[in-house]
Amino acid sequence: MSACIEVKDLTKSFNGRVVVDGITFRVEEGEVFGLLGHNGAGKSTTIDLLLGLKKPDHGTGTVFGLDPATNRKAVFERVGVQLQSSTYQNNIRVDELCKEMSALYEKPEDYHRLLQFFSLENFEKSKVNKLSGGERQRLSVALALINNPEIVFLDELTTGLDTAARREVWRHLRELKKKGTTIFLTTHYMEEAESLCDRIFLIKDGKKITEGTVKDVIENSPYENLEDAYLWYMGEEITR
Amino acid sequence: MKRFLKLYMIEQKLALRSGDMLLFGIAMPVGIMILINMIAGQKQAGEGFTYLESSFASLIAVGICAAAFMGIPLTIADYRDKKILKHFFTTPCSPMWILGCDVLCAGVTALLSAISVALISVVFLGYEMKGNVLIFMGSWMLTLVSMFSIGLFMASLCRTIKSVNAVTSLVYFPMLFLSGATIPYELFPSGLQKVANVLPLTQGIKLMKAVSMGAELENVWKIIVLLVGITVICTLISVKAFRWE
Repeated sequence: MSACIEVKDLTKSFNGRVVVDGITFRVEEGEVFGLLGHNGAGKSTTIDLLLGLKKPDHGTGTVFGLDPATNRKAVFERVGVQLQSSTYQNNIRVDELCKEMSALYEKPEDYHRLLQFFSLENFEKSKVNKLSGGERQRLSVALALINNPEIVFLDELTTGLDTAARREVWRHLRELKKKGTTIFLTTHYMEEAESLCDRIFLIKDGKKITEGTVKDVIENSPYENLEDAYLWYMGEEITR
Repeated sequence: MKRFLKLYMIEQKLALRSGDMLLFGIAMPVGIMILINMIAGQKQAGEGFTYLESSFASLIAVGICAAAFMGIPLTIADYRDKKILKHFFTTPCSPMWILGCDVLCAGVTALLSAISVALISVVFLGYEMKGNVLIFMGSWMLTLVSMFSIGLFMASLCRTIKSVNAVTSLVYFPMLFLSGATIPYELFPSGLQKVANVLPLTQGIKLMKAVSMGAELENVWKIIVLLVGITVICTLISVKAFRWE
C-alpha cells in the first residue's frame, strides 16, 4: 500500500491561539482513517489545511503527492469532499443539485446510479430541504462521490442524526470501502469510529494524543472499549 | 463553457422559482407604470415631457435596483453562510463560477424587467422614445454595471446574513423611493431632490432619462465619469475585501 495523503507538522493559529499544533500522519490507499476529537479540537481546521482551503503557518499537507492549494484542478477531480454542516440552495431539487455538482467535473458519475446506491432514487424531484436528516446526509455523501473520487473526505457526517439514520449511512460507507475508496472522516462518535475505521488519530487542542488501529488504541489504554479508552486518552474522568 | 451554462441554467431556475425577483424586479415596475399612466400619463411633468415619458426610464431602472441591491448581496451572503462558496474550493472549478452565474442571473432579471416595462409602455401605453434607442441601451448598461458593483461591494463588506439584510434594506428602499425610480423625481420638493442627487441610482436614472428624451444634458459627461468611477472603485474594493466564508 502507498500513502495517498501525507500531513507533516501541520500548524495553524488564529489570533494567537494555536488550533492545529504540529500534526503529522499518513493515510494509505483504500483505508478508512478517522480523525477523532472533541468539538473544537481542530478536526475541521486540519481538513481545511490539508485541502488547501486555509494556509498553514507551517507544515505541509499533500494529496496524491500534490499540494491541493496549488494543484486544485488535478487534486479535486480525484477527491470528493463533504464539508461540516454545509447546506444547499433554497428550493433546489435533488436532481438539480446533482446536475449542478456534475457540471463541475470532467467525467462525472451517472448521478441516477449514485442516488440508487444511497436509496434515494425516489427523491429525485424532491426539494432538498424537505428531506429528512438521514436522507440529506446520504445525499451529501452521494454528492461527494459524484466525480467517482479515489479519496472522500467526510467531516462530521453523522452529527445530529438518530441511531437508525446513522447506521444506514455507515452501511453505505462500508460498501464504499469495499469498492476500495479511501475514506477520511472526522467524528466524535466512538461507535462510528469503531465500526468503520481501520485506523484512528486522536487530537486534543490541536495536538496529537495517539494513533493506531482501533484495537491498538484500546489495548494501550487500561480500558476495554473505545469510548472509555478515548476519554482516558483525552484526560477526562470516566464516570459510570 | 457548456458546464458553466449548465450551472447557470440551474441557478437561473432557482432565482425564478424563489419569486422575490419576479415580484420586486418585474411585477412592481410594470404595476407602477400602469398606475402612473392611469393617474397622470399624459400630464406634463416638466418642460415639454409627460409623466409617461419621465417614468419610462426611471421604471426601467427598478429592475436594476432590485437585482443590484437585493438579488446580488442576499444571494452571495446566503451562499457564503451555507458554505456553498467554500464548497467550490473543494472542486476543480473556481468559486468565481457560481458568483458569475449569480451576477448573470441578476443581469437577466434586470433585463427581463426592462423588457417588460418597455413592452407595456410601447404596446399598450403608446410610448415612443424621442432619443436614440441604442444610446439608451448603453446608458442602461452603464447604470446596471455601476449599480451591480455597489451590490458586490455590499456583499463583500457584510460578513453575516444579518448585516447584509440590514444593509440591503437601508440601501434598497431609499434607492427605490428616493432615486426617482418609482416616485417621479419631478414631484420632489427641491430639498428632497438634493438628497436624492446623492444616491448613485438617481444619477443613473438621470442619465437614462436624458438620453430617452433626447435632451441635451450639459452634465451628462459628469454622470458618466461618476458611474464609471463608482464601478471601478466598488469593484476594486469588492475584490480586495471579498471573503469566501
